Amino acid sequence: MSDWTIDELMVAALARELPDDTVCFNGAVSFVPVTAFLLARATHAPGLIWVASSIAVDPRPERIGESTLSDALWDGAAMLQSSAADFWAYAQSGRLNTFCFRGAQMDAYGNVNNTVIGSYDAPKIRLPGGGGMADLGCQVPRILLWSTTHDPRTFVAKLDFRSGLGWGDGGDHRARLGLEGGPRACVTNLAVMDFHPESKRMRLRSVHPGVSVDQVVEATGFDLLVEGDVPETEPPTDEQVRVIREVDPTDARKREFA
Amino acid sequence: MPGQGKIVALSEAAELVPDGALLAVGGLSLNCTPMSFCRELVRAGRRDLELVAVVSGMSTDWLIAAGCVRKLIMGLTSFEGFGLAPNFRRAAQAGTIEVEEYSEHTLICALQAATAGVPFMPTRAGLGTDMPALHPDRTWEMVDERSGQRFLACAALQPEIAVIHVHEADADGNARMNPKLVWFDTELVKAAKRVIVTAERIIDNAEFRAAPERTSIPGYAVDHVIEAPRGAWPTACWPEYPYDGQFYIDYQRAARDPEAFAAFFAEHVGGQLAGLDPTPR
Repeated sequence: MSDWTIDELMVAALARELPDDTVCFNGAVSFVPVTAFLLARATHAPGLIWVASSIAVDPRPERIGESTLSDALWDGAAMLQSSAADFWAYAQSGRLNTFCFRGAQMDAYGNVNNTVIGSYDAPKIRLPGGGGMADLGCQVPRILLWSTTHDPRTFVAKLDFRSGLGWGDGGDHRARLGLEGGPRACVTNLAVMDFHPESKRMRLRSVHPGVSVDQVVEATGFDLLVEGDVPETEPPTDEQVRVIREVDPTDARKREFA
Repeated sequence: MPGQGKIVALSEAAELVPDGALLAVGGLSLNCTPMSFCRELVRAGRRDLELVAVVSGMSTDWLIAAGCVRKLIMGLTSFEGFGLAPNFRRAAQAGTIEVEEYSEHTLICALQAATAGVPFMPTRAGLGTDMPALHPDRTWEMVDERSGQRFLACAALQPEIAVIHVHEADADGNARMNPKLVWFDTELVKAAKRVIVTAERIIDNAEFRAAPERTSIPGYAVDHVIEAPRGAWPTACWPEYPYDGQFYIDYQRAARDPEAFAAFFAEHVGGQLAGLDPTPR
């Protein structure tokens, strides 16, 4: 089947990274991950628990609105886990095990910047701020990254500001900080990457249909690891496309591709 | 007038906040923010506020647009799916406000340290990032001598005043979220020296006594109560009304042009704009 769009391919690729024991949650402007959570839960990972907006436990929303921190997502929840103190307790203790990040900039070790472009004191662009990135990058063991703009402005050799921790300076940096886990994969509009088990540098795992390895390498502002023959990303199945359009009938996921 | 207790009129709300105050404003992004209260601060022309807003958008943008803010202490400021907060962005880029960025959890830790009366709260959050170095006197890395574990220390941050919005309150200050996204609000309430609650409705104390398990904040922790129907607009007051998406869209459209924005702001918010340089540097 060829009737799928890039947002649907990204959602399906991200969903594949979510096993059945996932207990995930989402922050602001997270339309692609939220759709991926809903897809995974409706298909291969029925045991997945999603805490919508970090508030509504295991909800059954009919649509995804303009905000992924809004009550549109909370219908049918088993609980409104409504205090910050409760949420952070479960995030710190490891009960909540999966979170997805995106940044205006990302580097080879999966660190992200959502604070400023340029210098902090005289920014060229003042971004919204790191929010929970600096926290959850340290506290949550399974980090997944996504970006709808795979280009050298987003994937940079050096971040203007490290708002959220991925693999830090690489190697055993996280372990030296006493932190568990780290980024597992990065899904973009061009490719799926993972991280080298030793160096923790970003590595090309698959390229999307119609995208060449050279294209991805050129679109990446740091030296992307390429090992051997790189396979093509598996496109979404008919069933996945159907479910995506069912769980996100108003195409909220496409907001990230404006 | 008997029975008024802690009740203050909305029109007198701004008098509760002096210029230069360290003020924490509740709410979460597009949700349940004390917007009517913020509008009063704008109209009163408050200046030099040190604003604590963990995850906010419109409230912070109004206060910055009107020149009320000297320093913003925050985790994140945006309109989410409705885009970047335009006046926040412009002022930060022009250097007309100081932005002290924390992360959500480190900011909560700083508030909790104030609540507990200890100099700092330890956390793993923020380790390995550039955030602690932005304010090394407020957040710094430490190693526990006994376990060898590294952690970030977050210095106590005690707001002089916290203001939050709830569904119902009484003259004694008892407040009920009905039900409500509590999120950061109770952390602000616990940490602050003085607490102001704006409420959709003032109800009789007997209603609280009839269902005390539903009271969210005890009256003894609240100093002032203000009746503010639709007081969260244009943010949501779930489940009573949703956020006003059209307002966010119109606001963003107006913000592209300084004259259009001045007219829009005067009509919908009131007060004077700060005359910010409209050209981001």
